[in-house]
Amino acid sequence: MWPIPDILLDINFFQITSSYIFRLILEGLLIGIIYSLMALGLTLIFSVLNIVSFAHGEFYMIGGYVVYVLLTRFKGMPGLVGIVVAALVTFLIGAVFERLFLQPMAKGKVDRPSEYAILVTFGLSFFLQFVLLGIMGPFPKKAPRFWSFPPIDLGVIRTTKATLFLGNIPLSGGRIFAAIIALLALGAMLWFMFRTWTGWALQAVSQDRNAAAVVGINPLTMNTLAFALGAMLAGLAGAVLVTVFSWVPWVGVPASAKSFVIIVLGGMGSIPGSLVGGLILGVVESLGTGLFPDPARAQAYRDVFGLIIFALVLWLKPTGLFGREL
Amino acid sequence: MKRWMLIVTVLAIASLALVACPQPTPQVIEKTVVVTKEVEKVVTKEVEKVVTQVVTKEVEKIITQEIVKTVEVTPEKGRCAPETFAELDKMEKPVIKIGVPVPLSAPGSVTGGQAMQIAANIAVNHINENGGIMGKYPIDVVFYDTSGLPERGRAGAEYLITEECVAAIAGEYHSAAGVQEKEIAHKYGVLAIFAETWNDKITAAQYPEVFRIAPASSMVAQADAKFFSDLGVSWVAIVAENTDYGVPASEATKERLADLGIESEIYLAEQGTQDFSALVSRVLQDVQQREGKKGVLTLITGETSYNFEQQAVEGGLAPAEDLIFVANQVAANHTEFWANVPDGNYMTFRRVGVVPALTKDNPVAQRFIEDYKKATKDPDRFPESYAFEQYDALMLVAYAIEKAGSLKTADLIAALEALDSRENGYQGAQGVYYFKYGVSRPVPEGEPEWMWHQWPDPAILFLQYWSDGQPVDEACVIWPEHYQTCGTDYVVPGTEPPVKP
Repeated sequence: MWPIPDILLDINFFQITSSYIFRLILEGLLIGIIYSLMALGLTLIFSVLNIVSFAHGEFYMIGGYVVYVLLTRFKGMPGLVGIVVAALVTFLIGAVFERLFLQPMAKGKVDRPSEYAILVTFGLSFFLQFVLLGIMGPFPKKAPRFWSFPPIDLGVIRTTKATLFLGNIPLSGGRIFAAIIALLALGAMLWFMFRTWTGWALQAVSQDRNAAAVVGINPLTMNTLAFALGAMLAGLAGAVLVTVFSWVPWVGVPASAKSFVIIVLGGMGSIPGSLVGGLILGVVESLGTGLFPDPARAQAYRDVFGLIIFALVLWLKPTGLFGREL
Repeated sequence: MKRWMLIVTVLAIASLALVACPQPTPQVIEKTVVVTKEVEKVVTKEVEKVVTQVVTKEVEKIITQEIVKTVEVTPEKGRCAPETFAELDKMEKPVIKIGVPVPLSAPGSVTGGQAMQIAANIAVNHINENGGIMGKYPIDVVFYDTSGLPERGRAGAEYLITEECVAAIAGEYHSAAGVQEKEIAHKYGVLAIFAETWNDKITAAQYPEVFRIAPASSMVAQADAKFFSDLGVSWVAIVAENTDYGVPASEATKERLADLGIESEIYLAEQGTQDFSALVSRVLQDVQQREGKKGVLTLITGETSYNFEQQAVEGGLAPAEDLIFVANQVAANHTEFWANVPDGNYMTFRRVGVVPALTKDNPVAQRFIEDYKKATKDPDRFPESYAFEQYDALMLVAYAIEKAGSLKTADLIAALEALDSRENGYQGAQGVYYFKYGVSRPVPEGEPEWMWHQWPDPAILFLQYWSDGQPVDEACVIWPEHYQTCGTDYVVPGTEPPVKP
């Protein structure tokens, strides 16, 4: 039996305990990691293609549904297999869409490319929502959890099927698993971006398309890769969260809105910005909801707390926390 | 490009902020008022004789009289439904159209909307199987997806009445939409029977055209408070949705709890919220600071409630001996509930409307239940309360037309008001419908205003699951006492009930 550290005990100040604050921060970080994964995909698409994908939330939704279908149709299938398949499916859909609908824009075959990009990604968003509504129906689905905790009681750490208790702080097992997978995916993505030739090529295209082309990088191929990778990251976020939230065809709409906030908060096109922005948003939302004086309004204002930070950053540093100076 | 993106982002943020703000719903209430009118002024001259002198005094006496004046609103033009059968006979296809507004997309409860759609189609089949109303006028229902939003409810009612030419409206799940629909029904003088909208305002406005067969929020609040009181709960966390249903329902429940000496706190969340982790932490913190038995009451509708309930258990707010957790009524749909709230064992839930045991002697209910199971292709699915209500709402409209022998709203209202007691009532699937108060029998002083055209007898029961994945038929009825099926008012988590139903 290990002793319980002080921070996990209830040290009461102004009727708010230290363990309560610690719990709120931990919960904010757990969901913030998933936000970061979502936002990283959107950042990648924006930095390379210079467009905002309004269908980002729908890739998140598809990722979740793929895992749900696999785990409910093939009982006993490991959750990780479902997650990998979801990543592949969203990668492929992203690649095909980019080739069919966004490459004409990159090739200069489309008038008013900025407006075209907004319309075509909005169109994809609605199309995917209604196709999935037709296939999966409107009723909420939830994939079986990837694993249940074995019963443990070590004093400071104990578990139930769905919950891990750190001292007296309960943490959802589904969220912990989702955050671990998201961290691994983020690490892999950062390694890919900063340690591989293809990653350098993507960065080069994001900085200067013409210069990249001069040194032998095909910007059109990089466009496809960036969009597909961005879609895959959103799909991964959905794949790990489908055991946490109830899944419906419009589940991606709020997730997409949060990604937009994060990439502007962190700096448009900045990879570190989207990572830090996601964590900030998660923690601020959690602390705001937990500490806002009026309990009746605290949850209803959840989105507002993040937006206040967002507005402050835009006011004090219009390029975002890690954005390139204009 | 960046500028475009910024503009779109700012717009998205602004709309998010707006959604977070509660929006008061303006409404016009027409009702009977009492005015005091000066009807006579009497001036008399009195002569007082005093010993020493004669004084003349002018006395003015104002006689007043109370006059009951009914404020009448002439329906606006625009309604296009035929008002007589002669008009109907002239049509190429003499079909009576009835509008059915239901939520079929987010943020409304699609679960509720779809169940009501299925129930409405069953009602149409039953009404039309012998040729329709009076044996020769089949009915046709026109669905409108309101998404549970006020503006769509308003637009939907307007569309159904002025474009689809419906003779009546029967349906709706969300109060937010229903509160607006009643205004439009009143504006055009079209009969509206609300199936599952609980907001008191729906009938408290006392519009002649508006009837309700769901309970009013205050009726449910009273039952909730009594349930917690009977279980000895001393503090309740009311987690409600920030809508025209959730806000007044939570406030009414708080008041009723206070009447019984129970403290409570309201926590509002937006409809469609996914992540409740911080709210769960907050509620848990408040629960842990209270002594004695505590309760959690979920006044969030539809699929959003599943997210709250599962996250509550994962966050340590699980049902316990000293924590009574009341899930939303959609928990009665056990297949969906267990898929979305796999750790929801020992949760209690309120069931408005009948349970299987109460339908055994009712052939109307039996027929509906059988057809509902066939239509949903789920032999284990007992119809939800809103499915029963939608079926009955349409059957009541058909009954009113048949009984009145007319399509005029005034005649339909009179036909429904003639159902003035249980003995004279209409036998529906859910029970015997009657309306104690209305145009012909105003709500007396001392009775709540929402009793106008309100069915007074909806059954309000509390049930509890006591085994993982349990079908709703096997759940224990734990309240009120005379309906208990397991010999207990609460199955303590980790145990089994003394009597198994």
